[in-house]
Amino acid sequence: MTDRPLSIPVILGTTRKGRASEQIAKFVFQQVQKREGVETKFIDILELKFPIDDAGEAIKDPGFAETIMHADGIVIVTPEYNRGYPGLLKHVLDTNLKEYIHKAVGICGVSAGGFGGTRVIENMLPVLRELGLVTVFWDGNFSGARGLFDQEGNMKDREAHEKRIDKFLGELIWMSKVLRYGRENVAL
Amino acid sequence: MMKEAKMICPKCGAEMNHHAIKVDYDADDALSPDPAFDGVLEEVHSCPTCGYMALRQAN
Repeated sequence: MTDRPLSIPVILGTTRKGRASEQIAKFVFQQVQKREGVETKFIDILELKFPIDDAGEAIKDPGFAETIMHADGIVIVTPEYNRGYPGLLKHVLDTNLKEYIHKAVGICGVSAGGFGGTRVIENMLPVLRELGLVTVFWDGNFSGARGLFDQEGNMKDREAHEKRIDKFLGELIWMSKVLRYGRENVAL
Repeated sequence: MMKEAKMICPKCGAEMNHHAIKVDYDADDALSPDPAFDGVLEEVHSCPTCGYMALRQAN
């Protein structure tokens, strides 16, 4: 098996001003960075600047497509807006297709209320499946997003969040390794 | 059945692995869509050496 490091970028899936998901995505990104043998990259969809007068692969961004092409797994950090995912996140995801096939994906849901983004996670699953991604059964769940960090930007209850994300990443990394092996060695 | 030739990675020259087939519903009609699937069947190949991924139309 190849000894290239795994590539697992983290996508921050909202452009809303004052987004609470940004600090959470950065926390998750730091946890991925700690993993040995894993390379990561922080992708803020706000920075991608996709046009909105067209959609899909017609507006593919070469840099973003290249990152996903080389990814073995993806973490999506998404807020729950009215029980759904941000429209611009879907707009961004739709710009690639073949780049996703047989790659692992894990979702971190962020909500203002107490359900840790579980409803947005459930809503995303059929989309990710159609893109060719393989979802893991662990999720990241962040409830009460506005109150998760103190005034200095320190995460409250960090230890518990780290423990949960550790399990989530363990599963995602395992699935990323297995799928990479399959993509590169197991013929259809 | 005749076996298709392996794809060669355009990036590093290694033999690629065919691991998926995807239907492209938006492909150009000139690529002869398969009427059973209402789209063009595309093979997905990945390179075990550099990880590059490439597509080719399935027969």
